[in-house]
Amino acid sequence: MGIITILWEKWREFLRDFFRITLAAMIAPLMYLIVFGWGIRTTMNGQPYLYFLIPGVVSLTTMNGSFNAIAQNLNVQRLYEKAFDQVIISPTHLWQFLIGQIIAGALRGLYAAGIILLLVWPIRTGLIFNALSILILFLNGAVFASLGVVVSFLAKNHADVPRFSNYFIMPMSYLCNTFFSTGSMPTGAREFVSALPLSQTSGMIRAISGGNAADLRGILILLLYLAAFTCIGLYFVYQKENL
Amino acid sequence: MIELKNLTKQFGDFKAVDGVNLRIDTGEFFGLLGPNGAGKTTTIGMLSTLLLPTSGEILIDGVHMTRKRRDLKQKVSVVTQEYSMRQDMIPDEVMEYQGRLYFMPVRTIRARTEKLFAFAGLNDHRQKSVRRLSGGMKRRLMICRALLTEPQILLLDEPTAGMDAISRRQMWDLLRRLNEQGLTILLTTHYIEEAQSLCQRVALMDRGRLDRVDTPAALIQELGAYAVDGLSPDGMHTRYFHERQDAIACLSAPGAQHTLRDTTLEDVFVERIGRHL
Repeated sequence: MGIITILWEKWREFLRDFFRITLAAMIAPLMYLIVFGWGIRTTMNGQPYLYFLIPGVVSLTTMNGSFNAIAQNLNVQRLYEKAFDQVIISPTHLWQFLIGQIIAGALRGLYAAGIILLLVWPIRTGLIFNALSILILFLNGAVFASLGVVVSFLAKNHADVPRFSNYFIMPMSYLCNTFFSTGSMPTGAREFVSALPLSQTSGMIRAISGGNAADLRGILILLLYLAAFTCIGLYFVYQKENL
Repeated sequence: MIELKNLTKQFGDFKAVDGVNLRIDTGEFFGLLGPNGAGKTTTIGMLSTLLLPTSGEILIDGVHMTRKRRDLKQKVSVVTQEYSMRQDMIPDEVMEYQGRLYFMPVRTIRARTEKLFAFAGLNDHRQKSVRRLSGGMKRRLMICRALLTEPQILLLDEPTAGMDAISRRQMWDLLRRLNEQGLTILLTTHYIEEAQSLCQRVALMDRGRLDRVDTPAALIQELGAYAVDGLSPDGMHTRYFHERQDAIACLSAPGAQHTLRDTTLEDVFVERIGRHL
């Protein structure tokens, strides 16, 4: 019941800010596709680079869409609008609030990815996006939405979330198997970056889109990240003395 | 019934609330008075579980209050001192969100919202975002939101701050009526006349500790029911008397212009708390 309430709240937010949310979801990925895909025309493994790029951009779009939908918003609600107080005071279970935020964030990520897929659809790349892709993208969104919850609780002021984004989310956007394969990285860095959730997502989405078998251990890794961030979020909402 | 047992809240080295013991009976209208930084808002924060106590406990109807106690939270509504609403929502959304958080059917939420908005004069502003409402309207919306869930306990932290005098009086009437219907109310306010007019008992709080707990009448009686203000070149001085004749005798004292009046709770507040500031 509490989860439905949070989804309702996020749905109202989506309707209110529909154009802003949609435009924000489109701009950066579209630029990546134009600059790296069409502008700098190149090939990778004998195929147009765009075919390699699209699955990576779709994956990073779900990451950005989900993280941004939750982290900044919840931070503002908690520190400035104090609207989060209303939730703590209410009898709604705080774990339901948390799960509602994560699902809503994941759906926002999926929405952003859907826009990119619609934009590249006329190119007729032949890339495959199926139900498993959607599940993986949803999980990826859930991981970063849960990270967004954690970051919003850690933030001490308005600038902390963009700062975290600059230090962690933006580097991941470029390094995690999105614009180039992690296989070309030096030993040590390769293992570290490959273990990050976006690398796993990009790898699986790219394999599926090329008609190959995805390494589904990636799903397990995403679930582990999701469980870890969710547990930290639960710790904050139930145990933190001063929310 | 609300019981605070040795309630303490510490921020680093600073004790905002220091071993407060208090009992508020069911159906009581109770006022918590104190200067800025006395610990009133922190106390309300702990009662509403926004803050967790450093030590001590809060009991609602004999049950330990925690963030996980849905049954107790269902009984409590809070009007916080700061505006605590999403600024991009319209008032109807604020109410529906609140109702849903308290598991109310949407039809009931909408019916009660109609009544509350009609009372609060918010019907003409329902399509404005909260951001575009005036301070007084936001305050009224917060009170409507708190009453939507028909709580048994209402915690009010400076509920009439920013309201004009007429709206404040209307609010007093409403709170009185709600209290007569059995609602337990804990009020913090800077308007001492508000506490004197509404509260059956008040607690004076200073630097995290409770100074006195009694009825406004008893506190006034203790200080002296009659006050004589004397205006001299040094400034204003007030003396208090238990007997009217003594106060009248003081009026004729030379060297100052004197005025006789009834002692108010504000006098008690200034005498007991103001001296330390």
